[in-house]
Amino acid sequence: MQSAFEKAIHLIMTGDAELCNILFVTARMSLTSSIIALLIGVPFGIWLGACHFRGKGLILIMNRTLMGMPPVVCGLLFYILFSGVGPLRRGKLLFTVNIMILAQVVLITPIVIGNMETYVSGIAPAIQETTRGLGLTRIKTLLLLANECIYQIFFVYMLSFARAISEVGAVSMVGGAIAWKTNVMTTAIMQYTNRGNFSLGIALGMILLTISLLVNTAITLLQRRLSK
Amino acid sequence: MKISAFSKTYHGVTVLDVPELELHPGKIYSIIGSNGSGKSTYAKILAKVLPADQKGPQLDAGITVGYIPQKNYAFRMSTKANILLGGSDSAKAERLMEVLQLDSLASQRADRLSGGETSRMALARLMMKHFDLVILDEPTAAMDVETTFLSENLIWEYAKKSGCVLLLITHSLQQAKRIADEILFFHKGQLFESGPKERLLFAPTRPETRQFLEFYGI
Repeated sequence: MQSAFEKAIHLIMTGDAELCNILFVTARMSLTSSIIALLIGVPFGIWLGACHFRGKGLILIMNRTLMGMPPVVCGLLFYILFSGVGPLRRGKLLFTVNIMILAQVVLITPIVIGNMETYVSGIAPAIQETTRGLGLTRIKTLLLLANECIYQIFFVYMLSFARAISEVGAVSMVGGAIAWKTNVMTTAIMQYTNRGNFSLGIALGMILLTISLLVNTAITLLQRRLSK
Repeated sequence: MKISAFSKTYHGVTVLDVPELELHPGKIYSIIGSNGSGKSTYAKILAKVLPADQKGPQLDAGITVGYIPQKNYAFRMSTKANILLGGSDSAKAERLMEVLQLDSLASQRADRLSGGETSRMALARLMMKHFDLVILDEPTAAMDVETTFLSENLIWEYAKKSGCVLLLITHSLQQAKRIADEILFFHKGQLFESGPKERLLFAPTRPETRQFLEFYGI
């Protein structure tokens, strides 16, 4: 086990080509999917939290259901849709990074929406009461509401990035964990462990944790700086 | 200024049923009554924060309504920036901050102010603009004696100078006595009695009003 650790550190220090490729694919997939989910989920979550309309309860129930969707179910759906006999086969997306991003977006967006909705529904009544009392426009109210959500957006981003980088079920099904193409850290760890190549698996695990630590530290520092 | 009669029902129970009111510009009307008497509900409906039953209160065309709720919201920005949300006149904002002893807190984050400071900030924010009808729901409840007096002077000055109709909801009969011109007594969701403060405080006609005032030692 000790030699596996030593080998893992050696792979990291020497910049192993396969390791670098896995890192690149992981970064591309996690960053892109978490940012897209944020761009869709934040405005939708704010709108859901701030507005009252008929059918809102149903949308919330559906969103909460999607928040708990097992990644393998999501992967299966995308696999059926994009496989050779699926209705979307012409897209030729199966076993590409793009479909992995798409699957991740479907998994993460409900989490972003749910978190934003819960937060906004807590502060929106007081804000709306205040802005109405001052005679401010709806657009101004919405901008002020969005400004009040900045820290929550940071928190939600951390959550969605963590989900994206650590997810394995959906990406392995739709991406196929193809070496040098769609293999990301989580699928590679599974693959190398199954093959008995513990050193590369440990190296990837260490990097995965380090990246997560760095991203969370950076966002927390930025959040603290903005709160001053 | 006329405010039409309206009512509010929750789950089949009428919590507010108020007749038409005629209010005069430049006057301060204090709404008094015990908890649950419908004072705040009346204010919220007038400010269009809450809907009334059927048709909402009808105000004369073009009437602007300013409102400070019981719980003031301080946005995550400086105290001065919060006040400037009410209007863009920076010199006016500075004068209001000076009067309300907020000048030393101008650059401080408003969401970190104390309860009393937040109430003063909210008062300054509202007074940046002219409204035809101003509704203040317990604006000095979180303030100390000194800043309560400062705020009362400012409220009185604002009403008299701007010529607005000012509705002041308060639990303090002393405050009503100090700055109101007329008093409206709410009881169980109804306007029980109204009139000039001297008459209503010292010679009420309804037994419910008398009982309420006796409880407060008047």
